[in-house]
Amino acid sequence: MRVIGLNEYQVRMSFQVKYFGMLAEIAGLSDEVWNAAGGLTVGQFRAQMLDKYPAMRDKKFKIAVNQKISEDFVLIETPAEIALLPPFAGG
Amino acid sequence: MEKAHKPKKVFVQGPISPDFVAKSIASHQSKTGIGAHAIFLGQIRADQKEGGAVTGIDYTAYEEMAEQAFHDIREAAFARFELTCMHIYHSLGLVPTGEISLFVFVSSPHRRAAFEASEFIVEEIKANVPIFGKELVGEGHVWKQNT
Repeated sequence: MRVIGLNEYQVRMSFQVKYFGMLAEIAGLSDEVWNAAGGLTVGQFRAQMLDKYPAMRDKKFKIAVNQKISEDFVLIETPAEIALLPPFAGG
Repeated sequence: MEKAHKPKKVFVQGPISPDFVAKSIASHQSKTGIGAHAIFLGQIRADQKEGGAVTGIDYTAYEEMAEQAFHDIREAAFARFELTCMHIYHSLGLVPTGEISLFVFVSSPHRRAAFEASEFIVEEIKANVPIFGKELVGEGHVWKQNT
Protein backbone atom coordinates (compact mmCIF):
# COMPACT_ATOMS: atom_id res chain seq x y z
CA MET A 1 0.00 0.00 0.00
CA ARG A 2 1.17 3.48 -0.78
CA VAL A 3 0.21 6.56 1.16
CA ILE A 4 -1.22 9.22 -1.09
CA GLY A 5 0.49 12.58 -0.64
CA LEU A 6 -1.60 15.71 -0.31
CA ASN A 7 -0.34 17.08 -3.60
CA GLU A 8 -1.50 13.94 -5.43
CA TYR A 9 -4.93 14.23 -3.93
CA GLN A 10 -6.03 17.40 -5.69
CA VAL A 11 -7.17 19.14 -2.53
CA ARG A 12 -8.81 22.45 -3.38
CA MET A 13 -8.99 25.47 -1.14
CA SER A 14 -10.82 28.75 -1.21
CA PHE A 15 -10.40 31.92 0.79
CA GLN A 16 -11.49 35.54 0.91
CA VAL A 17 -9.33 38.19 -0.79
CA LYS A 18 -9.69 41.90 -0.04
CA TYR A 19 -8.31 44.73 -2.18
CA PHE A 20 -7.61 48.25 -1.00
CA GLY A 21 -6.80 51.62 -2.51
CA MET A 22 -5.36 51.58 -6.02
CA LEU A 23 -5.44 47.76 -6.06
CA ALA A 24 -9.23 47.74 -5.59
CA GLU A 25 -9.35 50.21 -8.46
CA ILE A 26 -7.30 47.88 -10.70
CA ALA A 27 -9.24 44.75 -9.71
CA GLY A 28 -12.53 46.61 -10.12
CA LEU A 29 -13.80 45.13 -6.85
CA SER A 30 -13.01 45.25 -3.14
CA ASP A 31 -13.25 41.55 -2.35
CA GLU A 32 -13.69 38.16 -3.96
CA VAL A 33 -13.39 34.45 -3.20
CA TRP A 34 -10.16 32.87 -4.47
CA ASN A 35 -10.15 29.21 -5.49
CA ALA A 36 -6.84 27.39 -5.78
CA ALA A 37 -5.12 24.05 -5.37
CA GLY A 38 -4.28 23.23 -1.75
CA GLY A 39 -0.87 23.91 -0.23
CA LEU A 40 -0.62 27.41 -1.66
CA THR A 41 2.04 29.77 -0.33
CA VAL A 42 1.73 33.55 -0.21
CA GLY A 43 4.30 33.80 -3.02
CA GLN A 44 2.34 31.39 -5.23
CA PHE A 45 -0.83 33.31 -4.51
CA ARG A 46 0.96 36.54 -5.48
CA ALA A 47 1.96 34.99 -8.83
CA GLN A 48 -1.64 33.87 -9.53
CA MET A 49 -2.85 37.34 -8.59
CA LEU A 50 -0.44 39.03 -11.01
CA ASP A 51 -1.56 36.65 -13.78
CA LYS A 52 -5.17 37.61 -13.19
CA TYR A 53 -4.47 41.34 -12.80
CA PRO A 54 -1.35 42.14 -14.87
CA ALA A 55 -1.78 45.87 -14.14
CA MET A 56 -0.69 45.14 -10.55
CA ARG A 57 2.77 44.05 -11.73
CA ASP A 58 4.29 47.51 -11.45
CA LYS A 59 2.52 48.34 -8.17
CA LYS A 60 4.07 47.98 -4.76
CA PHE A 61 1.96 46.06 -2.27
CA LYS A 62 2.13 43.85 0.79
CA ILE A 63 0.02 40.80 1.48
CA ALA A 64 -1.62 40.31 4.86
CA VAL A 65 -2.89 36.90 5.94
CA ASN A 66 -5.46 37.16 8.71
CA GLN A 67 -4.38 40.78 9.28
CA LYS A 68 -0.66 39.99 9.59
CA ILE A 69 1.78 41.11 6.88
CA SER A 70 3.21 37.84 5.56
CA GLU A 71 6.35 36.74 3.73
CA ASP A 72 6.15 34.81 0.45
CA PHE A 73 7.17 31.47 2.00
CA VAL A 74 4.18 31.38 4.37
CA LEU A 75 1.68 28.61 3.65
CA ILE A 76 -1.93 29.79 3.44
CA GLU A 77 -4.12 27.78 5.77
CA THR A 78 -7.88 28.10 5.50
CA PRO A 79 -9.99 29.69 6.75
CA ALA A 80 -7.99 32.72 5.74
CA GLU A 81 -8.60 36.33 4.92
CA ILE A 82 -5.98 37.68 2.54
CA ALA A 83 -5.61 41.40 1.97
CA LEU A 84 -3.59 43.25 -0.66
CA LEU A 85 -2.26 46.43 0.87
CA PRO A 86 -0.80 49.25 -1.25
CA PRO A 87 1.54 51.79 0.41
CA PHE A 88 0.08 53.30 3.59
CA ALA A 89 -1.05 56.92 3.59
CA GLY A 90 -2.31 57.60 7.11
CA GLY A 91 -1.74 60.94 8.80
CA MET B 1 1.29 42.68 34.88
CA GLU B 2 1.09 45.49 32.37
CA LYS B 3 -1.79 47.87 32.51
CA ALA B 4 -4.40 46.84 29.98
CA HIS B 5 -5.98 49.61 27.97
CA LYS B 6 -9.36 49.09 26.42
CA PRO B 7 -9.44 49.29 22.62
CA LYS B 8 -10.74 52.71 21.65
CA LYS B 9 -12.53 53.88 18.58
CA VAL B 10 -10.07 55.79 16.41
CA PHE B 11 -11.86 56.36 13.12
CA VAL B 12 -14.22 59.26 12.60
CA GLN B 13 -16.16 59.99 9.43
CA GLY B 14 -14.95 63.13 7.64
CA PRO B 15 -12.75 65.93 9.05
CA ILE B 16 -11.92 66.37 12.74
CA SER B 17 -13.34 69.71 13.85
CA PRO B 18 -11.36 72.31 15.86
CA ASP B 19 -14.34 72.32 18.23
CA PHE B 20 -13.81 68.60 18.94
CA VAL B 21 -10.12 69.30 19.68
CA ALA B 22 -11.07 72.14 22.05
CA LYS B 23 -13.58 69.96 23.90
CA SER B 24 -11.00 67.19 24.22
CA ILE B 25 -8.61 69.64 25.92
CA ALA B 26 -11.35 70.92 28.22
CA SER B 27 -12.29 67.39 29.31
CA HIS B 28 -8.81 66.97 30.85
CA GLN B 29 -9.05 69.87 33.30
CA SER B 30 -10.13 67.52 36.09
CA LYS B 31 -7.03 65.33 35.65
CA THR B 32 -4.76 67.42 37.83
CA GLY B 33 -1.79 65.02 37.72
CA ILE B 34 -1.20 66.20 34.16
CA GLY B 35 1.40 68.91 33.66
CA ALA B 36 1.88 68.70 29.89
CA HIS B 37 -0.23 67.96 26.85
CA ALA B 38 1.22 67.46 23.38
CA ILE B 39 -1.10 67.66 20.41
CA PHE B 40 -0.34 66.74 16.82
CA LEU B 41 -2.80 67.71 14.10
CA GLY B 42 -2.42 66.46 10.55
CA GLN B 43 -3.89 68.89 8.01
CA ILE B 44 -4.61 68.24 4.32
CA ARG B 45 -2.12 70.14 2.17
CA ALA B 46 -2.90 71.58 -1.27
CA ASP B 47 0.04 69.85 -2.98
CA GLN B 48 0.54 70.69 -6.65
CA LYS B 49 0.14 67.63 -8.86
CA GLU B 50 -0.09 67.12 -12.58
CA GLY B 51 -3.62 68.33 -13.28
CA GLY B 52 -3.81 70.89 -10.49
CA ALA B 53 -3.81 71.28 -6.72
CA VAL B 54 -5.04 68.64 -4.28
CA THR B 55 -8.53 69.61 -3.11
CA GLY B 56 -8.96 66.87 -0.52
CA ILE B 57 -8.11 63.31 0.45
CA ASP B 58 -10.59 60.45 0.46
CA TYR B 59 -9.41 58.00 3.14
CA THR B 60 -10.17 54.29 3.33
CA ALA B 61 -8.69 51.65 5.62
CA TYR B 62 -8.48 47.95 6.27
CA GLU B 63 -10.42 48.79 9.38
CA GLU B 64 -10.07 45.61 11.46
CA MET B 65 -6.31 45.47 10.94
CA ALA B 66 -5.98 49.23 11.44
CA GLU B 67 -7.85 49.17 14.77
CA GLN B 68 -5.49 46.44 15.96
CA ALA B 69 -2.46 48.41 14.75
CA PHE B 70 -3.68 51.52 16.62
CA HIS B 71 -4.17 49.41 19.73
CA ASP B 72 -0.61 48.04 19.46
CA ILE B 73 0.76 51.58 19.04
CA ARG B 74 -1.14 52.74 22.14
CA GLU B 75 0.21 49.85 24.20
CA ALA B 76 3.77 50.49 22.97
CA ALA B 77 3.52 54.21 23.77
CA PHE B 78 2.18 53.56 27.28
CA ALA B 79 5.02 51.09 27.86
CA ARG B 80 7.74 53.47 26.62
CA PHE B 81 6.67 56.85 27.97
CA GLU B 82 5.29 58.17 31.23
CA LEU B 83 1.81 59.01 30.02
CA THR B 84 -1.38 59.81 31.90
CA CYS B 85 -3.59 59.40 28.87
CA MET B 86 -3.61 59.20 25.12
CA HIS B 87 -6.19 59.78 22.40
CA ILE B 88 -5.86 59.10 18.69
CA TYR B 89 -8.43 60.02 16.05
CA HIS B 90 -8.11 59.53 12.29
CA SER B 91 -10.53 60.44 9.53
CA LEU B 92 -12.17 58.15 7.02
CA GLY B 93 -13.93 59.41 3.91
CA LEU B 94 -13.40 62.83 2.41
CA VAL B 95 -11.33 65.48 4.18
CA PRO B 96 -11.04 68.72 2.19
CA THR B 97 -7.79 70.66 1.93
CA GLY B 98 -7.10 72.75 5.02
CA GLU B 99 -9.02 70.47 7.34
CA ILE B 100 -7.76 68.05 9.99
CA SER B 101 -7.46 64.29 9.36
CA LEU B 102 -5.30 63.17 12.31
CA PHE B 103 -5.50 64.20 15.97
CA VAL B 104 -2.99 62.75 18.42
CA PHE B 105 -3.35 63.95 22.00
CA VAL B 106 -1.00 62.75 24.75
CA SER B 107 -0.85 63.91 28.35
CA SER B 108 1.87 63.41 30.93
CA PRO B 109 3.04 64.85 34.22
CA HIS B 110 6.04 66.34 32.35
CA ARG B 111 6.75 67.80 28.90
CA ARG B 112 9.54 65.51 27.72
CA ALA B 113 7.38 62.37 27.69
CA ALA B 114 4.54 64.23 25.97
CA PHE B 115 6.81 65.59 23.19
CA GLU B 116 8.50 62.24 22.58
CA ALA B 117 5.35 60.15 22.73
CA SER B 118 3.50 62.32 20.23
CA GLU B 119 6.32 62.02 17.71
CA PHE B 120 6.60 58.27 18.26
CA ILE B 121 2.86 57.75 17.78
CA VAL B 122 2.63 59.82 14.59
CA GLU B 123 5.61 58.04 13.02
CA GLU B 124 4.17 54.63 13.93
CA ILE B 125 0.79 55.52 12.43
CA LYS B 126 2.36 56.66 9.17
CA ALA B 127 4.48 53.51 8.85
CA ASN B 128 2.28 50.73 10.21
CA VAL B 129 -1.45 51.43 9.96
CA PRO B 130 -3.20 50.24 6.78
CA ILE B 131 -4.86 53.50 5.78
CA PHE B 132 -5.08 54.54 2.12
CA GLY B 133 -5.56 58.02 0.70
CA LYS B 134 -6.92 59.12 -2.63
CA GLU B 135 -5.78 62.68 -3.31
CA LEU B 136 -8.40 64.45 -5.37
CA VAL B 137 -7.00 66.61 -8.17
CA GLY B 138 -9.38 68.31 -10.58
CA GLU B 139 -11.55 65.60 -12.15
CA GLY B 140 -9.04 62.87 -11.34
CA HIS B 141 -6.99 61.57 -8.44
CA VAL B 142 -3.59 60.24 -7.39
CA TRP B 143 -2.86 57.77 -4.60
CA LYS B 144 -1.01 59.17 -1.60
CA GLN B 145 2.03 57.34 -0.29
CA ASN B 146 3.78 58.07 3.01
CA THR B 147 7.53 58.54 2.78
